[in-house]
Amino acid sequence: MHLPDGLVPVELALAGYAGSGALAAMALSRIKRLPDPSAAIPRAAMLTTVFFAASLVAVPVPPASVHLMLAGLLGVMLGWFAVPAILVGLFLQAVLFGHGGLTTLGLNGLILGLPALLAFGIWRAAGRRWPDMAALCAGSGAVVAALAIFAGFVLLGLPVALDASAERVALQLFVLAHVPLVMAEGVIVLVLLRVLRRTAPQMLAHA
Amino acid sequence: MPERARRAPALSARARLAVVFGLAFAFASVQSLAALPALWLIAGVSVLASGRPWQILVRLRGAAVLAAGFALVLPLIAGEVVLAHLGPIALYQEGALAGALIAGRLLAIVAMTLAILSPVAPFDLVAGMRGLGVPTLMADLALLTLRYMDEVAAQLARARLARRLRGGTTGWRALPDHALLLATSLIRAQARSEQLWAAMRLRGYGAGLAAPAATLSARDWAFVTGAGGLALAVIWMGRSL
Repeated sequence: MHLPDGLVPVELALAGYAGSGALAAMALSRIKRLPDPSAAIPRAAMLTTVFFAASLVAVPVPPASVHLMLAGLLGVMLGWFAVPAILVGLFLQAVLFGHGGLTTLGLNGLILGLPALLAFGIWRAAGRRWPDMAALCAGSGAVVAALAIFAGFVLLGLPVALDASAERVALQLFVLAHVPLVMAEGVIVLVLLRVLRRTAPQMLAHA
Repeated sequence: MPERARRAPALSARARLAVVFGLAFAFASVQSLAALPALWLIAGVSVLASGRPWQILVRLRGAAVLAAGFALVLPLIAGEVVLAHLGPIALYQEGALAGALIAGRLLAIVAMTLAILSPVAPFDLVAGMRGLGVPTLMADLALLTLRYMDEVAAQLARARLARRLRGGTTGWRALPDHALLLATSLIRAQARSEQLWAAMRLRGYGAGLAAPAATLSARDWAFVTGAGGLALAVIWMGRSL
């Protein structure tokens, strides 16, 4: 779920950079407080690669297919590291493959970064007591949050000459098309965290 | 390899990144259809000058499909002034103009980005990011992500092949299988990533990125200044035409 280049006004794109910059600065300041910030870099990079690869892979959901976002998974597994990881992944996708957008990198960083932090918050608050429920909510909730932010940016960014009712219908169709992804990511994060809790609990901060 | 050496980029990655960002924002600011040919001309010249036009055109496929989607769908759903009737379907003027503008800007920005940055090696790209002030932690993340890409892609491909050979299910029922596949790849890649990171640090990784960025050459300055002038001209054209 990326905003492509050329869709939104340049003022909104610049505001997106300012927002993402502030979010990244906050995340980096939290990371610097860790005893050894560089120790988590290999895992963050590996998950960034998985995020990168998985967003290029389609999961068959009849009658079509959907692309995984994995913002919830990144949030649960990386915490504050998810923000720089997502920004790096989006930048590499834009410059190496032309996916997403370079001018919209800041907005896309907010579309995926804020839901990742929401998933981190859900897992932190409920991961110990109700791990399955927390995993499901983190996976699905991140997609719902990303959809809401995406829809907000599109409504703000489309030309004023277009009539609002058509925009709303198009967005409703877009959101409906992503309902399977909400469920799919919830199931994927649930199963994945169950496996990791059993076999590699050190990979989860609150396993 | 000799072919690559002959085509080694003469311009620094830092200058290329600065130019790409400047031109991309200038292109994005264009509000007039009359300015689109100028954008396509700049993008076309960049693609030809890159020396690899076919590779770039292949990588443009995704953006081209998206652009076609905007150009075809918006005239059908958005607007009030009817431009033409195709049987029972009306084409609206506002949607057609917005679709053409969005598609035109999108294609020009993606083509120009790929053309200017495709000759740059991944390490140079990361060093260029660092030179533009991107924090070291993010530069490290970018470099390791590129380093692990082949590793993780191979893991995922092996796991997917194994699943297919075992006759895995499809559709909704395959979701838990996809999650298991991802979990297995993550666990294997985690161990390997830590070994790679340790080996990279032992070989002195970090010194290159931590060193102050080299000063821009006269050629870099000429490139950045020329592209800056072009970006200003595009902004002026896009707002006044």
